[in-house]
Amino acid sequence: MMRRALFVAGLLGAAPAAAATDPTLATLQATLKEAQAQLAGLREPDPAYFVAYSVVEHRALNIQGSHGAHAGVVPERVRSVDVDLRLGSMQLDSTHKIRDESFFTAAGRPHWITGFEGASDPLRRLLLRATDDAYRAARARLLKVRSNEAVKVAREDDSDDYSPAPAVQREAPAPTLTVDVAAWSALTKAVSAVYLEYPEIYDSAVQLVVTEDDRWIVNNEGTAVVDGFRHLRVATWAETVADDGMGLSVYDYVDVGSTARLPDQARVEAMARAVAERTVALRHAPVIEPWTGPAILRGRAAGVFFHEIFGHRIEGHRQKDEDEGQTFTRRVGQPILPPFLSVLDDPTQAQLAGEDLNGHYAVDDEGVAAERVTLVDKGVLESFLMSRAPVAGFPRSNGHGRRQPGNDIVPRQGNLMVQAEGTVPYAELRKRLLAEIVRQKKPWGLVFDDISGGFTFTGRSTPNSFAVQPVTVWRVYADGRPDELVRGVDLIGTPLTTFARILAAGGEVEVFNGTCGAESGWVPVSASSPSLLVQEVEVQRREKGNDRPPLTPPPGAHP
Amino acid sequence: MILCIAMALAAPVAPASATLQPALEAELVRASALRLPDAPPPWLVIYDALDGTVHESAAEDGALYRTQHGPFRLVRAEVRVGDATVDSSNYSGFGEPDGVTTRRLPVEDDALALRREVWLATDVAYKNAVETLSRKLAARKSLQEPPPPDYQVVPPVVRPAGPHGGDGYTAEQTDDLARRLSDAASPVGVESAAAEVRDWHGWRLRVDSAGTRAWMATGNVVVRVEAVVRRPDGAEVRDARWWVGRDATSLPDADTMVAETRNMAQALLAAAATPSPEPWLGPVLFEGAAAAELFSQLLAPELVGTRPEESSESSLFKSGSAPLARVGRRLLPEGWRVWDDPSTRTGAAGEYEVDHEAVTPRRVDLVVDGVVRDVLMSRIPGKERTASTGHGRALGSDRRGALPGYVRVAPKQVISAKALRTRALGLARSVGHDRVLVIRRLMPPALQQQLEVAVQGEGPMAGLTMPYEACLLAANGECTPTRNLRFVGVDRRLLRDIVAAAPGEGPVDMLDGPPGPARYTIGTTGGVPTTWDVPSVLVSEVELDPADAGEPRALDIRRASP
Repeated sequence: MMRRALFVAGLLGAAPAAAATDPTLATLQATLKEAQAQLAGLREPDPAYFVAYSVVEHRALNIQGSHGAHAGVVPERVRSVDVDLRLGSMQLDSTHKIRDESFFTAAGRPHWITGFEGASDPLRRLLLRATDDAYRAARARLLKVRSNEAVKVAREDDSDDYSPAPAVQREAPAPTLTVDVAAWSALTKAVSAVYLEYPEIYDSAVQLVVTEDDRWIVNNEGTAVVDGFRHLRVATWAETVADDGMGLSVYDYVDVGSTARLPDQARVEAMARAVAERTVALRHAPVIEPWTGPAILRGRAAGVFFHEIFGHRIEGHRQKDEDEGQTFTRRVGQPILPPFLSVLDDPTQAQLAGEDLNGHYAVDDEGVAAERVTLVDKGVLESFLMSRAPVAGFPRSNGHGRRQPGNDIVPRQGNLMVQAEGTVPYAELRKRLLAEIVRQKKPWGLVFDDISGGFTFTGRSTPNSFAVQPVTVWRVYADGRPDELVRGVDLIGTPLTTFARILAAGGEVEVFNGTCGAESGWVPVSASSPSLLVQEVEVQRREKGNDRPPLTPPPGAHP
Repeated sequence: MILCIAMALAAPVAPASATLQPALEAELVRASALRLPDAPPPWLVIYDALDGTVHESAAEDGALYRTQHGPFRLVRAEVRVGDATVDSSNYSGFGEPDGVTTRRLPVEDDALALRREVWLATDVAYKNAVETLSRKLAARKSLQEPPPPDYQVVPPVVRPAGPHGGDGYTAEQTDDLARRLSDAASPVGVESAAAEVRDWHGWRLRVDSAGTRAWMATGNVVVRVEAVVRRPDGAEVRDARWWVGRDATSLPDADTMVAETRNMAQALLAAAATPSPEPWLGPVLFEGAAAAELFSQLLAPELVGTRPEESSESSLFKSGSAPLARVGRRLLPEGWRVWDDPSTRTGAAGEYEVDHEAVTPRRVDLVVDGVVRDVLMSRIPGKERTASTGHGRALGSDRRGALPGYVRVAPKQVISAKALRTRALGLARSVGHDRVLVIRRLMPPALQQQLEVAVQGEGPMAGLTMPYEACLLAANGECTPTRNLRFVGVDRRLLRDIVAAAPGEGPVDMLDGPPGPARYTIGTTGGVPTTWDVPSVLVSEVELDPADAGEPRALDIRRASP
C-alpha cells in the first residue's frame, strides 16, 4: 500500500514549475513564433490572422471501495494539444458557419495527444504538425465559406466572425495536490461496507476522484497563460431495482478544490448511509402518474433547472446561428422572468454558501479574463454569455469561451447564480405551496429535492422543450398528511411558459456542482439558486427498465 | 546500461490468489438455484477469471503520452440454458445481449466482495441466456436441417495453480523501452514515430458447474514501434517493427531492439527518397516476416472449423451456417503440408498447455498434399468435426471459437534462398521485367488502416495488408527499395500460385484475432498470441498498385536537432 502511495504522489507531483520561465510555455511561444514566420513566408492571399496554442495536461486518480473491499486505484494522465487557426479576416474567416453543410462533408476537428514529459522538441514538432494540418484544413474551408456566402441569402446577423481582445499575461500554476492514497483506500473500503447492511442495494461504491488540470495558452496577440484547475470529489452511489423493473440509482457527492476541505470519514459514512436509506425508500416508493400542478424546486434542483432551461439559451453563439431556436435573441431589454429574480454568471467567484464552485476560473479557454455578467436584472434580459465570436449588439467577449480539449470553443456557463429579492424562509415558501394546492383544488403538490441532470433542445428542428431528471421528489398533501417519497417522473416543459409561472423564492441558496456537456465538450460548472415556488409544473413518466431484481439474495445476506 | 540491469531483474509473476477460486465456487453453487418462471434452469455455468498485472506504455518522439500500470482482475460469467444439443450459445441477435457478462473484480482478495460482483454478473447472464434461447429457437423455425450440437461435453479438468514461471516487465521497464524506441525511430526527416509496449501477466482461472477447476498461467508481451515519413509530394511512407513473446526474457534485449529500430528508420528515409512506384504485375518473392504474415492472413481463415453464430432471419449481418474452412479444398500446391501443434515446448508465443476451455491441445494435420484434411476446433461442434482439438481461444469475452496456435507450413521441397531469388528473376524476365519484387515485411492487421482488406474474395479489394518493406531485386543482387504499393484482388487462391520455396527464417510470433473483420480491430497491442513457421515463397503472379498520394505539408516540421 505504501508503494502505491508513493507512486501516486509522484504522479500528482508533476505540476508546472512556478518560475516565470515555464518550459512548456517557452516551447509554445517559440514554436508559435517559428510557425508564424513559416506561415508568413507562404505568401498566400489569405493570412492566418490568428493562431493560438493550448495545452492541457489532465491528471486524475480514482480511488474506489466497493462491497467492503478495495476495488482499485486508477490513475489517468493525458496531455492534449489544441491549435486554433483562423484564415481570412475577423470579418469573415475560415471558421464561419457553412449553412446547410452536409454532416458527411463537414471536416472533423483533429485532437492531438502529446507526451507529458521530456524534452521540448517532441512538443514543438507536434505543434508544427498540428499547425500545418489546421492551416491546410482552414485553407480548404475558407473556399467553401466564400462560395456558401455567395450562394445563400443574407445572414440575419452579419456581425463579424471574431473580435479583438486584450492580451493576457498570467502565470499562476495551480498547487500540487497531495493525497494520502493509503488512507483514502482504507476510507473508501470501510465506508463501502455500509451498503452491505442493505440487502436491497445490489451495487454500490464509494470513491475519491482527484483531478489536476494544468493549462498553457499562447496566441499571436501576445497572450500567455499558465494556470490550472484542481478538483476533488468524494462520491458514493447505490443502485437497486424496484419490483416493477425500474432501475433506481442515488448519487451524492462533495466537491472541493483543495485536500484541506475534504470531508472526514464520519461525514462520508453519513453520506453513504443517507444514500442507502434513500435508495431503499425509493425502491418501495409509489410511482406517480403524469400530472400538472404547483411545486417547489429546492435550491440545488432549481439551480439545475435554470442551467438547463435558461443557461443554454443565453449562450452567445445560439443568438447568431439560424438553426437555433433563438428563444431570447430579440428579448434584450425585455422582461423574461418575474421582477424579483436576477441571474448572473460569475466564473471569478470561487465559493458560495460555504461551497467551492466548480465553474470558477480566472481566464477562459480563449485567454480572455473571466467577467461577472448580469444576464437578467430584476426580470429583464440584459446580456448573453460571450466568447470572442461577436453577435449583433454584443461585439466583445465577456470571458465565457470554454471547451473540453479537442473541441471548438463556444460560450458556456461557469457559475450560474439565480438571485432573488424578497425571499421568504423555506417554511413560509412551503406554506404558500400548500395554499396554492388548495387554490388550484389539487389533492397534492410536489417538492423536488434534488435533480441528477437533464437536457434541453435549443434548435429549430425540434420542439424547444426540456426534461430534467429528479432523484428525490416528495408528494406534499394540503390536508396535513405526511410528505410521501415518490418515484418515476421527469420534469418537463417549455422555457417561456415555465418562467412565467415562478411565483416566489425562499430558503437558503444551494449549490449544484457538476459537469456540463454541449458542443464544446464537457466543462465544469455550478448552478446555485434559492428554492422556487412554481405555480404549475408538468411531470411525465420516466423511461424505466424491465429487468427483474436479482433472482437470488446477495452473497452473505441473511435470509 | 541501467535498463540492461533492470531487464535482468524482470519481475516474477505473483502466485495465484487463494481467495478467487473459493469465491467463484461459492457462487457456482448458488447459480444452480437460478430459476425464472416457465424458463429452463442453467445446464452449465462457466466462470473465467483473469487475474494479473498490466504494464502498458506509449511514447512518441521519445516522450511518454500514455501509461497504464496496475492490477487487472475481471470475471466472465457464462450461463447456458437448454442442454448440450441445443442451448443459448452460438447465437447472435443484432444488438441483443447474450448469456455472457463481464465485470471488473475488486483487486483485493475479499471473498464477499468478489462474490458480490460474480453474483451480479451471473444473474444478468442467466436472464439474457433464457431470452437468447427463445430467440434462437424462433429463428431456427426456418431451418431445413438442424445445426450441429451446441457444446461438446468433456470430462472435467482439475489443474491446480503451480508456479507461474513467467517474468514480466516492470512499469519502469515498459516506460523506458517505449521512450527509447520512439526516440530511436525518429531521426531528422521522420515526421512522427511512436512506440507501444504492453506486458500482461497473470492467471486465467476456469471454474464451471461440470467440475472443471483449471488454473492456467497466462501472459504475453508485445512491443511495437512505427515511423512515418512524409515525402515532399505529400505521400506518407511508413514502416514498423514489432516483437511478441511469452515474457520479457523471450524478447531481444532493449539495446538490440533500439538498434534495429534505428536501422529501420534509416531504411525508411531511404525508401521515402525513391521515385514514385509503378504498378506491378508479375512474380513476387515473400521473405522472412512477410511470408509469415502472408500465410497467417490468407491461410488462418481456411483452417478454423468453428461455425459462425446463428442469427435471426432479420439480422443485417446474417452469416452462413458453415465455417469458411472446407475439408477437401486445395489451398497449396501438391506436396505441401500444414499442421498446428501448440503443445510443443520451444518457447514460442503460440504454445500453451490448455486452451481457454481447459482442453489440452493436440497436433492437427491440417493440410496434406496441398489439400485441407482437418480443421482446428474448439468445444463448439461442427457438422463433420465434433470434438475439440484444444484450440478454443478468443479475444476478451468473445465466444470461444478455434484459433491457430503454432502453425508450421512445409513445402514439398525447398531450394536455397539464393536459388529462390535466381528463380524469381528468371520468372520476372519471362514476363518482361528486368527485376523482381521482393517483399520482406507486411503491415500486420493490428496496424491496418484500410478496412477493405477485411473483405474476402477476388476483386478490387486488396485482400492483404500493404507491404511495409519491399525492394526490386536486380540480377546483380542489388535490391532497390520501393514503397507505397498496395495489393489488388488477393485471396486464398494466391497460395496455389506458389511456384517455389526456400527455408524460412524461423518461427514468427504475432498477436492475432479470429478470422473475419474482428481481426482488423484488435488494436495495436491486443490479440491472442500465435506462431507461424513458414518458408520464403515465390508466387508466380501478384498485382500491386501505388497507394494514394497525400497532400504536401505547408510548413517545415523537421526535427530541430539529431
